[in-house]
Amino acid sequence: MKFDTIIIGGGLAGLTAGISLVNKGQKTLIVSSGQSALHFFSGSFELLSSSDNPFDAMKSLPVSHPYSKIGKDNILRLAGSAVPFFKSAGVTLSGESSHKRVTPMGFLKNAWLTSDGLLTVPADGTLPWKKAAVVNISGFLDFHSPFVCAGLEKCGLECREFAVTLPELEKLRHNPTEMRSTNIAKTLTGEVLDKFAAEIERVSAGCDVVILPAVVGIQDESECKRLCSLVSRPVKMVATFPPSVPGIRIQVQLKRQFCAAGGTFMLGDTVTEGVFEGGLLKGIYTRNHGDTLLTADNFVIASGSFFSHGLVAERNRVYEPVFGLDVLASDERGEWFATDIFENQPYMSFGLSVDNEFRPSLGGVTIGNLRAVGSVLGGFNPLKEGCGAGVAILTAMRVAELIS
Amino acid sequence: MVQEYDVIVIGGGITGAGVARDASMRGLKTLLVERHDLTDGATGRNHGLLHSGARYAVTDSESASECIRENMILRRIASHCVEQTDGLFITLPEDDLGYQATFIESCRKAGINAFAIDPKEAIRLEPSVNKSLIGAVRVPDGAVDPFRLTIANVVDAQLHGADVLTYKQVTSILKDDSGRVTGIGVTDLHTKQQTKYYSKIVINAAGIWGHGIAQMAGAQVNMFPAKGALLIFGHRVNNMVLNRCRKPADADILVPGDTICLIGTTSSRVPFEEVDNMNVTPQEVEVLMREGEKLAPSLASTRILRAYAGVRPLVAADNDPSGRSISRGIVCLDHETRDGIPGFITITGGKLMTYRLMAEWAVDLACKKLGVDRKCETAEVCLPGSSATPQEQPRVGTTIGQRAARGRHGERTSQISLSSDTDRSIVCECEEVSVGEVNYAIEKLGVTGLVDMRRRTRVGMGTCQGELCACRAAGLLAKADGCARKAISNVADFLNERWKGIRPIAWGETLCEAQFTSWIYEGVCGLNDSQEKRIQ
Repeated sequence: MKFDTIIIGGGLAGLTAGISLVNKGQKTLIVSSGQSALHFFSGSFELLSSSDNPFDAMKSLPVSHPYSKIGKDNILRLAGSAVPFFKSAGVTLSGESSHKRVTPMGFLKNAWLTSDGLLTVPADGTLPWKKAAVVNISGFLDFHSPFVCAGLEKCGLECREFAVTLPELEKLRHNPTEMRSTNIAKTLTGEVLDKFAAEIERVSAGCDVVILPAVVGIQDESECKRLCSLVSRPVKMVATFPPSVPGIRIQVQLKRQFCAAGGTFMLGDTVTEGVFEGGLLKGIYTRNHGDTLLTADNFVIASGSFFSHGLVAERNRVYEPVFGLDVLASDERGEWFATDIFENQPYMSFGLSVDNEFRPSLGGVTIGNLRAVGSVLGGFNPLKEGCGAGVAILTAMRVAELIS
Repeated sequence: MVQEYDVIVIGGGITGAGVARDASMRGLKTLLVERHDLTDGATGRNHGLLHSGARYAVTDSESASECIRENMILRRIASHCVEQTDGLFITLPEDDLGYQATFIESCRKAGINAFAIDPKEAIRLEPSVNKSLIGAVRVPDGAVDPFRLTIANVVDAQLHGADVLTYKQVTSILKDDSGRVTGIGVTDLHTKQQTKYYSKIVINAAGIWGHGIAQMAGAQVNMFPAKGALLIFGHRVNNMVLNRCRKPADADILVPGDTICLIGTTSSRVPFEEVDNMNVTPQEVEVLMREGEKLAPSLASTRILRAYAGVRPLVAADNDPSGRSISRGIVCLDHETRDGIPGFITITGGKLMTYRLMAEWAVDLACKKLGVDRKCETAEVCLPGSSATPQEQPRVGTTIGQRAARGRHGERTSQISLSSDTDRSIVCECEEVSVGEVNYAIEKLGVTGLVDMRRRTRVGMGTCQGELCACRAAGLLAKADGCARKAISNVADFLNERWKGIRPIAWGETLCEAQFTSWIYEGVCGLNDSQEKRIQ
């Protein structure tokens, strides 16, 4: 099977690259093992949330940082095209002005693009409401109203806590492990959603805004919009502990968009071997396709970090398991970690070593037609810098430009 | 009015808990004081091995006989804390098979039922054992949950009228003009408030920290901190305790316990300054892995959950301050006769296995001083949780969570509310801990934070090490005490406590899980140092 580009990894970076390439008319394949960091989504994409002025702060990043490799002008241009890009892919994001998201623990964090329907706080910290009804679902343990209220009260919002239930939700509760965000979202559709909206309307009387855990709309955005239209007050949602319903919705929608535009998505497949020749990757073998060599002019590796298994740590070694590409990492385990969990952990910056056009190397030889995007890249700390999603999206867009 | 006790017990480890139980059962008005949480010291950082005594049979016959007697007592009085797994002492090709006969002979002398079995039979009994073994001896070893055992002793002490204070650090030993000890001064670690408590007798059962307590009273006990490091694996590889049949050495015991198994220990002297902050070194991890794989080769490919280290209080004989003649036996010091300090007793040395006997000795001495003539009954009366006969066991539901809870709390599971769907819903999926059990721990077992919660219920002890359950449990804590901020800073402490044990062994899946946890808490939830400091 011959493609223009084969992408390894179907998370945010892989799908962004994939959609960008199919939009440009490329015959594109994504090989995905099925996991995506979007399942643990915060509700917002971050650009460089450690700073209040991310575009300024980027200037002082080290040259090894993926943002430095993209370059300032390209970043501004690509970041500006992100909202329309996702809009045309069926994912509504708000990000016109700088804002903060509200975390499940009630903290406010700088955000870049936030999933439609989620509660955001403007940069000046003022909200247009006085009284909020924070409504949880009885027995749902992955959202804690007291944490969220404590955070919102700092923004001057008077919060009242409520818990609601419906017979359909009670059914979930009979099984002690069923009361999870995704199961609730699968229940809160159709007529059940209508009844849910009526309950919310009833308990929130006298309040200016309703705040809910983000447990509505797992398939697409329409259920969220319908819920909002059924309640007479504004309805805003706050991210829950994983799994993330808005994250799964974005993942599903991007994959749907990629396939609708003509891309091929191989779900549940894993690359077993790469065939290299003369500094180029000729093709790959996958577990499900046995001895069929999948070839392409270009390849993109978007396999993620350790928890996506894009990187693997052994007792005294860190490696990239698909091709064995060169990584930026220490072989001394003593150097991987800081004592305090909240300090800068060096292992978070481990990843592929790439040139300025995101081409990794194998045994010191740059692979001319392979590019790396997203969190498999080394040289940055997505957690401390608050740039995981920004790097995923912008490196993917940049690489799609470089390829086509 | 000043409340006066007959006995104040310092130290909420197994020894202090045992002393408090014994004293209160003999009608003494008792106060137990612990600096951090119950089981925070060596009690919560060991193998959880129900020694048969076989390990000491050749080198220390007195300890061996004590062990087997206490072993048989604990099986009876603490049945919900004990797993009767039995154990094997295996001989590998690199070991001297000649040792086996000496070993069995010594065991028999100490009253330990040890008998050689065919290596093939050993493999049949315990399929995880190294198949190249050339000899095996079966002994009545087992597993004991030190958290459960301590809590059961404390609960029983409370049922007999004892008071228990945690997070109260002893800062002074009070004396009257004649030099008699009259009580203690403590500082509450949360509120910093200082309080005095008075008693006729103060019993120092503070483990390695008892060295400092004795100094406060003006007595010198020659203790030597000995660090022992262990590794916990992510699942239960073996069902029988596995030991090496040779002179005791590093990392030669593999103990199953609940859902996991443990290899240990190393042994090294450490300075006193380090006892509050034990870190496991990469070298110790290497030794534990290397030796562990010899007992059960599949450990090489088994995920490690945590590494941790405890500090044993080794006590030198009084006539040997250099510490060359170290005893692992029980040391009960009457400071009135030894140092001219009436009203002060130190109970130390010994081991988890002999805690009950240690308590008996200390309380016997206290009773003698108080003129109380009451016999020790702790060897006969079962602990709360283990008191019901099989016919009397409360009926619990059939879910794994309900059965797991009964395993953890014995017949006291009947006090856990599981009447509603909310109560039954699961907080910790790895260890099947329900909302009802978490609330029971908050209300009845003196839980003040997530670390305490873990010790009482196993929340966060499983393969995910608190990935989602920490926050769920924190939400329930916040609800119980009405303070969201406190619960959140508690999550930060809990994650750091987990990280300390994960860091030395963070590779493979353990590192993936650690990264995932950081993503959730620091990334998605926005929890970090500065925020935590800001809310304090």
